[in-house]
Amino acid sequence: MRRDVFQAIADPVRRDIIKLLSKQSLSVNSVAKQFEVSRPAISKHLKILKECGLIEVTQQGRERFCFIQPANLLPAFLWIEQYRELWEERLDSFEQYVIELKNEKK
Amino acid sequence: MNSSNELDKRTLSLKRIIDAPVEIVWEAWTQPDHIAQWWGPKGMQTKVIEHQFEVGGSWKFTMEMPNGAEFISEGVFAEISPLKKIVTSAEFKPMTTGVQLQALFQAQGEKTIFTFNVVHPTEAYCKQQEKMGFMNGWGSVFNNLEDYVSVMSQ
Repeated sequence: MRRDVFQAIADPVRRDIIKLLSKQSLSVNSVAKQFEVSRPAISKHLKILKECGLIEVTQQGRERFCFIQPANLLPAFLWIEQYRELWEERLDSFEQYVIELKNEKK
Repeated sequence: MNSSNELDKRTLSLKRIIDAPVEIVWEAWTQPDHIAQWWGPKGMQTKVIEHQFEVGGSWKFTMEMPNGAEFISEGVFAEISPLKKIVTSAEFKPMTTGVQLQALFQAQGEKTIFTFNVVHPTEAYCKQQEKMGFMNGWGSVFNNLEDYVSVMSQ
């Protein structure tokens, strides 16, 4: 199964978990308490977020704590750039065509 | 974070000053015979399947890849203001869906200032999330990212 930032943010509960953890690190129990969904469901979301590299889970005493990994969220905000080149090329082609069209009309 | 910042982050904005009058630029952008000539990358043939150039009208272009696979681009015109502005939804299958394209034409003597915006799909998603107070959360994620990037660039 795909495990990347886009997979991580594809689910509304996971987005809410990211939102929560971006404010502060929380124990797994505290995260679970914030949601109506079942504890196993939360555990599963946390597992996916961990596999996607968006959180780290560390044992501290009797509790497991979740830490956001902001660096791994970067691609979600940068992916738009991937399309820049494609559109630049298309507009180059358009501009060139317009000039040809203009010359034909002379 | 304000919403215009958020919009910037998912908008790809390109600008060209084209050495041709706005009428010609408009014609090349809006007429199917012309579109077929420039839409696709070199060596790839574009077919204009549909082009109902009116608000609510749909358009559909296909490009055949060398391996026989088809790239489909399609959308519905949302706003047409002759010689000035065209707004359309766009789906690029199988890559991207739910994009909005904005083409802005501005005459400057015999030249045309052409601005092209590609607004990426998080829009609907963001709006929906915004209602639920989600943007506040993203705000702090962005802040974290900004901190991170500034640390990296030091």
